[in-house]
Amino acid sequence: MIVDTPLLELNGITKRFPGVLANDDVYFDVAVGEIHALLGENGAGKSTLMKVLHGLYRPDQGEVRLHGRSSGITTPADAIEAGVAMVHQHFMLVPTLTVAENVALGLAPSGFILDTSEVAERIRDLSSRYGLHVDPSAHVWQLAVGERQRVEIVKALYRDCRLLVLDEPTAVLTPIEVEELFVILRTMAADGVGLIFISHKLGEVLSLADRITVMRDGRVTGETTPSETNKAELADMMVGREVQLAPDRPGFEPGEVRLAVKDLRVAGDRGVDAVRGCNFEVRSGELLGIAGVSGNGQRELAEAIAGLRPVVDGDIKIDGAEVTGRHPSEVRAAGLAYVPEERMRDGVVGEFSVAENLILVAHDSEPFSRRGILRLGKIVERCRELVERFDVKTPTLETTTATLSGGNIQKLILARELSGQPKVLLAAQPTRGVDIGAAEYIHRRLIEERSAGNAILVISEDLDEVLALSDRVAVMFEGRIVAVMDVAEATVERVGLLMAGSGILAEVP
Amino acid sequence: MQVRKNRKFLGLVVLSAVLGLLAGACGSDGEVATGGDDGFRIAIVAPSASNDLAFSQSIVDGVGALTGVSAVDVTDGTFIVDDAAAAIRAYAGEGYDLVIAHGSQYGGSLQEIAPDFPDVAFAWGTSADTFGLPNVSAYTAASDQGGYVMGAMAASMTSTGIIGVIGPIAVGDAKLYVDGFVNGATESVTGITVNVNYIESFSDVALAAEAAQGHVANGADILTGTAQMVVGATGVAAEHGAKWFGTQSNQTALGPDIVVASQVYKWEVVLQGLVNGIKQGDLGGESHTITLENGGLAIEFNEGVDAGHARKIGEKAVKDISAGFTETGA
Amino acid sequence: MNEFFTVASLVFVVGSGIRLATPFLLAGLGETIGQRSGVLNLGVDGVMLLGAFGAYWTILETRSPIAGILVGIAVGLVMGLIYGVITVSLRAEQGISGIGIFLFGLGISDLLFQKKVGTPMPIRGFGDLHLPLLADIPKVGEMFFQHSVLVYIAFLLVPVVAFFLNHTTFGLNVRAVGENPAAADSLGVSVLRVRYTTILLANGLAGLAGAVLAAELGIFQQNLTNGQGFIAIALVYFGAWRPIGVMGGALLFGMVSATVLQWKTLGLVSGAASSLTAMAPAVLTILALVAISRTVGQPAALTRPFDRGQ
Repeated sequence: MIVDTPLLELNGITKRFPGVLANDDVYFDVAVGEIHALLGENGAGKSTLMKVLHGLYRPDQGEVRLHGRSSGITTPADAIEAGVAMVHQHFMLVPTLTVAENVALGLAPSGFILDTSEVAERIRDLSSRYGLHVDPSAHVWQLAVGERQRVEIVKALYRDCRLLVLDEPTAVLTPIEVEELFVILRTMAADGVGLIFISHKLGEVLSLADRITVMRDGRVTGETTPSETNKAELADMMVGREVQLAPDRPGFEPGEVRLAVKDLRVAGDRGVDAVRGCNFEVRSGELLGIAGVSGNGQRELAEAIAGLRPVVDGDIKIDGAEVTGRHPSEVRAAGLAYVPEERMRDGVVGEFSVAENLILVAHDSEPFSRRGILRLGKIVERCRELVERFDVKTPTLETTTATLSGGNIQKLILARELSGQPKVLLAAQPTRGVDIGAAEYIHRRLIEERSAGNAILVISEDLDEVLALSDRVAVMFEGRIVAVMDVAEATVERVGLLMAGSGILAEVP
Repeated sequence: MQVRKNRKFLGLVVLSAVLGLLAGACGSDGEVATGGDDGFRIAIVAPSASNDLAFSQSIVDGVGALTGVSAVDVTDGTFIVDDAAAAIRAYAGEGYDLVIAHGSQYGGSLQEIAPDFPDVAFAWGTSADTFGLPNVSAYTAASDQGGYVMGAMAASMTSTGIIGVIGPIAVGDAKLYVDGFVNGATESVTGITVNVNYIESFSDVALAAEAAQGHVANGADILTGTAQMVVGATGVAAEHGAKWFGTQSNQTALGPDIVVASQVYKWEVVLQGLVNGIKQGDLGGESHTITLENGGLAIEFNEGVDAGHARKIGEKAVKDISAGFTETGA
Repeated sequence: MNEFFTVASLVFVVGSGIRLATPFLLAGLGETIGQRSGVLNLGVDGVMLLGAFGAYWTILETRSPIAGILVGIAVGLVMGLIYGVITVSLRAEQGISGIGIFLFGLGISDLLFQKKVGTPMPIRGFGDLHLPLLADIPKVGEMFFQHSVLVYIAFLLVPVVAFFLNHTTFGLNVRAVGENPAAADSLGVSVLRVRYTTILLANGLAGLAGAVLAAELGIFQQNLTNGQGFIAIALVYFGAWRPIGVMGGALLFGMVSATVLQWKTLGLVSGAASSLTAMAPAVLTILALVAISRTVGQPAALTRPFDRGQ
């Protein structure tokens, strides 16, 4: 198929916000039937560019052209009309409605009476054509995350979309679901749909895309194809310097058991047990990574260990001492340091200054206070040292914490937690939403702590991260640890199958 | 529920108080008007609307009938006692000669406020308690007397032998009236059934109406009721052709074809003496009761409804009670 | 208790319960539509009062109950327009805006009543409409088919509103906007238009509820509704945001009130227990609310203003 005019052209887009140049003379185009990956860190300008495409922002300079003509999109309705659709990272679905109703929503009504039978029929057609398995009569709240994503794609296909934007579509999927998604996307491309695939996962971009554009600080820093490049080069383009993607892991010399979790059961938010019998140990000098798809009990497990969620049954020991169901302060005293998943909610007080957050746990003990009075001199001295040692980039110690980037807040939490000389460090999603540079640093620190003889437990939905950091890998599925293995035995395929609940298949070579 | 326009009224009161003070400061001596026929001012604080054809209207009409009063100011709808207390204090501070707190729920507030204004006379009701304060008068109505009269009339008029009564809450003036009515009916004619329904609300018009429906469904052909929520019940009575006896004010307007008679409170009978006394420097300190005998209670007949023989029974009952021959209360 | 369990007594209680339930049902149905689109209106009671006064005054002046009902609805629509501007266009906080509407309605309805009417004068409403044939069925007819035309309208609106929400294209938009306005917006549904429409419907029905109250009682008084609008809101939660559930709640409330009234009329309740039984409808509703709210979720976007940029 030879097509002269690109499907989409973004010509020299510049978009300024007060104090920020979000897009700086960006050129980006998508050909008919092309999968074009857009790669970049948080804040690189990808979202702004997509909002310009959707008409939500009007560019200060430059022009959006579809099929060689000015796009004229200013509302979501215009975008649909022009055949532009987007699968948002946070799905735009109504959980209480059925799949068919979600698809029918906003369609030009064929009458006052709602009739979804025709819609359902076409959904079935699309499903069989693209291998998108969805039941039109199911309610969205009943569907798993992967299925919901398929509903989003069906919505786009139903509206005859010619250009589909996918924003971090693989973040919520298991490796197997990612493969399935890629098959669907390639089928769509073969049908002539243009795809913009936004991601920061280098491997996926390399395996899926026809073309890759990398953005940093609002600018395009490179345009290439998978055959011409590799992960390291892409990471360098994203960060702007050389990045070490996988940290060195010096020799593995495990010591005594520091954290032991036995037959643990923990209630979820809705009354049903979220953790249903977990067993594992972490030794001194060891980093255990728990892999798993989001929502399989990881958050509840972490909160139970930290003393933030009541335990239904089982026990937790830190350095031999029973801490099950203890108050968080007692768990801390027993030697646990905790880097929580929701760092803005559980990790820091956003309105506090950097210094206040740094001493948050130890502020009522020596040397930071004496008889209830804070000793500012000591605090400042200590905070300066921590900020320096942990590479927290902050204008001053008095800066409001919420204004820092995700990576710097995470480094701040790590600095505070590690400054208490813990025996066990529990880090949940330590690099989620953190830029590559900061992630690289956090990874290095975790390995350093492990090599210094601490027991480290990392819970992460990013399988690449678990495989890069861990000495041993555990897989969590539906509230249980379904397998624990040495990292040498943990291939992406095997762990991926276990994450999807196919425990038996995974054990077959 | 009843945060209402009295807040605005209160604002006006405060505003006028401030303006008054300013005027006083600018003027010659800032003397607050006391005594003298030209300057006698009365303030009323009442819990419901001043034209409710019931409790609040009775005091407004009563004060309106007084002679030798130059100005009357009313803050009504002060269902919330705190609002009423603020209004009472504002009026007292402004130098009104007599401040009337028209509601038994205002007693506690008055007991606190009155000692702070020893030169202002206060009256409150319905109650018999003056707290031993020299500037507080109490007034109450022997509403059981009128209740008895109308009960006797109703008993002679009913053809089903069943009479329905709708009350708010079984306390104070309402209880007196209802008890008197029941006694009047049952003592005059044997075998009369009087169904009494206290709906536990002074304000639920819909419930009062439905209570009237219930009475009618249970065979009542004559109804009565007390407190301001009965305005819904009179409509039901009219719809079903049942007769109605009113109290607290003349309720003929609510049902020109069905209201037989109303017991009317003429507070002016006791208030006139109080006003005259205040002008002489006597701020009160006594308890007053309006009765059939002293003319404070009157039975007003609706000429549009022919009560026939019952009217004679009523007039005889009034005489007997006034002469002290009949016990009316509970 | 034997006096209560006679056929005549029970027939009366059912009829009485239906009458008492009607204003709750009308206001509750309107509030259901609003809440399904994510708009909470705590001002229902105030709108009812204004609708009631509008209808009362109109009937007093024109002697036409139909004109009164239409004016009641119109007053509700005007209030809806005001509430829409405040909460949808200006994105003000719904809770406090609703309280403002309530206080406004409470104060203005009384002020207008005092200025325009003063002493309460009775008006004539519709009177009972005996449905042909049905009304003649012994007992059943007396319970269900000898009511004011407004009662039939209110109960007929239950399936109408249910059909509107569940089986029309606009109803789908309403449900989507109440759960995830961003999703609806991304598909080209105008959140603004949907919410304005539902607010107008909700307030129109609240105005109608007030008009029905005034026409049925034949009178107006300060705070005539006595908090009925707030109970209607509770009944929406009670009914789990479904018209049939709201009807169930309104009937339960009405029937319990009617039962208590009948007990008291028959002298089956002693004076001391009287105030306790008077609380029965409210207590029952609260208990049922607690039980239901554990199992059913409210519209996810309830009380949340929509702003595309956020």
